[in-house]
Amino acid sequence: MRRWFFGVTLALIAAAPLGAVADEEGKASYLQLEVIDPYVDVRSGPGRGYPIFYVIEQGEKVDVLTRRPGWYEVRMASGRTGWSSASQISRTLQTTGEPADLPSVSYGDYLASHWRVGFNSGQFSSGELQSSDTFSFLVGYRPLSWMGLEAEVGKVLGAEIKGELYSVNVLIEPFSDWRVSPLLMVGRGNLSIDSQPKLVPLEIGDEDFNQYGLGLNYYIGRNFVLRGEYRWSEVDTDDNSESLEVWKIGFSTFF
Amino acid sequence: MENWIQHFLLKAGATALAGLLVTPVALAQETESTSAHRIDSEVLDLGVTAGVVNIADFNGEWALGVSATFQATENFFLQYNFLQADSSPSAYENNQGRLFEGSDRTFRHYDLLVGYKVFQGELFASEGRARLSSLYAVGGVGETRFGGEENFTTTLGVGYEAALTRDILLRIDYRAHLYDSSLIADEERSVTSNQMSAGLSYLF
Repeated sequence: MRRWFFGVTLALIAAAPLGAVADEEGKASYLQLEVIDPYVDVRSGPGRGYPIFYVIEQGEKVDVLTRRPGWYEVRMASGRTGWSSASQISRTLQTTGEPADLPSVSYGDYLASHWRVGFNSGQFSSGELQSSDTFSFLVGYRPLSWMGLEAEVGKVLGAEIKGELYSVNVLIEPFSDWRVSPLLMVGRGNLSIDSQPKLVPLEIGDEDFNQYGLGLNYYIGRNFVLRGEYRWSEVDTDDNSESLEVWKIGFSTFF
Repeated sequence: MENWIQHFLLKAGATALAGLLVTPVALAQETESTSAHRIDSEVLDLGVTAGVVNIADFNGEWALGVSATFQATENFFLQYNFLQADSSPSAYENNQGRLFEGSDRTFRHYDLLVGYKVFQGELFASEGRARLSSLYAVGGVGETRFGGEENFTTTLGVGYEAALTRDILLRIDYRAHLYDSSLIADEERSVTSNQMSAGLSYLF
């Protein structure tokens, strides 16, 4: 059954942004901006490799149509459309005279109320699962710039071990506007371990655990983060408790 | 304690649902200063893949798969893949009888990859029409299930992507799936299953 859990999770993640896009398309009016820089380059596509075919001059007004990572599609007064880099177009004014609030300003701190998906992988470094590999799929939501919630569905695979885990974690990231920013993690979850291919007696079966972690976020791009972390978890087994240590590395993206 | 977790997950689910219902209302009430949310973001594409997977110690088989790709930055992306293939009897099995039966004969693989677009540029398949294209490298982790084994898998690969239209992407991939197996030997040894595939994806 568990294997379908991955599929269902993936399908839910896939479905979520679709709904959001449909909502946005319902609004016909586009965001109109006035360029305050001396000029803004307009390329034929969202990439460095595309040629510049137009230059928006200071004071000109443009509609912002679409966003792709690092690029915005704009429509000029002439009706032609093209792509401008996020770093150039973010220095613009709205028609009301306020600075445009495009989500391209700093690293982690603008991520409040944003969703994220990602994965991580690592290896257990102590306890019964020592040298077993693990990887997880992550979905997170950040209600505050310094605090996030994350759900994790993962696998544990070793030479004689197979198992699944899931957990819900709270992430505290006090300096989320730094490019390299430390984070603290506290969470609770469930771990279900079997032996493969032959029967090896294991202390850990289907158990709940508490986990604590220390990590470091490195914002490679505005919407892309590399996270290294160390986790220590306390597993409630039948008789007593087992402690596990794991080192992980992973990637996440925000939208 | 199981109840506590179920309770928590249920609550989290309810909160998420409430959030989805409230969001459109909140969007409608937004002032001009946060209207950047009105911009359509194109970051996710979903696709199907077909190709050949050479199952280690077995045959090359037709494989079908699905993928989801999140464009993280101009250069980096995250991709989730699932691939499935039915295995025919290997040469050894034709001689000696099948080693395993039933659902164990289905090769299933899924992985979580990070990709980097090494070369980005324009593809001129026809005159006067430039299509965005890129050569990329991927690496990541996943699981391979075959012959009753579940193995931690490291995946490495290269691929080429070209935008056929604004929304439809064509991807051609080579991937190597590396894992330890003891299917035909008593001792675990490192094996590689290779995948060559092509896929079509729709960018939302």
